[in-house]
Amino acid sequence: MAHLSTSLRRGTLEFCVLAMVEHEDRYGTEIVRRFGEEPNLAASEGTIYPLLSRLRRSGWLDSKWAESPTGPPRRYYSLTGSGRSALEHFRTEWVSFRQTVDRLVGTGETA
Amino acid sequence: MRTRHNDVVAEYLSEVDQRLAGLPVLQRRELLADLRAHVESERSERNLGSEGELIEVLERLGSPEVVAAAAHEEAEAHRISPPLVGGFPPAPRQRRGWPLVAAVGAALVVLFCLFGMFFAVRGGESAPMPEQAPAYPAPAEEVRPVPGR
Repeated sequence: MAHLSTSLRRGTLEFCVLAMVEHEDRYGTEIVRRFGEEPNLAASEGTIYPLLSRLRRSGWLDSKWAESPTGPPRRYYSLTGSGRSALEHFRTEWVSFRQTVDRLVGTGETA
Repeated sequence: MRTRHNDVVAEYLSEVDQRLAGLPVLQRRELLADLRAHVESERSERNLGSEGELIEVLERLGSPEVVAAAAHEEAEAHRISPPLVGGFPPAPRQRRGWPLVAAVGAALVVLFCLFGMFFAVRGGESAPMPEQAPAYPAPAEEVRPVPGR
């Protein structure tokens, strides 16, 4: 079961990250906490940071440090133009992918 | 007490760092800075006081092995295909370029073979004229894929 969710998570989690910063910039700990609230995505929180790093190096995310009123400086992530089009593309791909899997596995509404 | 907390965190970070060997130094530093900032945010924003609470934060981050393994995995993913899946402008364009490169390569190979055949056929004759080569000795099917020559 753990293996299944790991392989399902791979390749989709990054788009969940992109979607989280679609409308407003968020800082790392905020993103990590948000994922912590999703039992189905449950991963070690520390593994989100290497993912954020890769998305930044791929040019899908941008980041900048900013002062925080309550604690240490925060690193805020924002969606870049290419990150936005990657997310849009994923959305259309995902819908048809999901429909195909539902049909083949028998998990669709009509199945 | 504060020092003791820092000991726990410093130890954790150094254990992660030890397992990051082989990664570019900037990526190592970035991850350690991110993890450090994470612990600091949790501590100050959620008002964590005890060492137990801090250890809990570290446990949620994951064992140094797990975190370092994720870092290696993501670095590898980036190396293999910088932007992972298709779905953004650069990749499809790149992919579309490959057939063209292959076609040009194939055309060059055919051209080379034609010249080889030409010289083999005309081997005995004197003063061959390469410009007219494809017109006579080569079969028509093989001449066609050579564009504009």
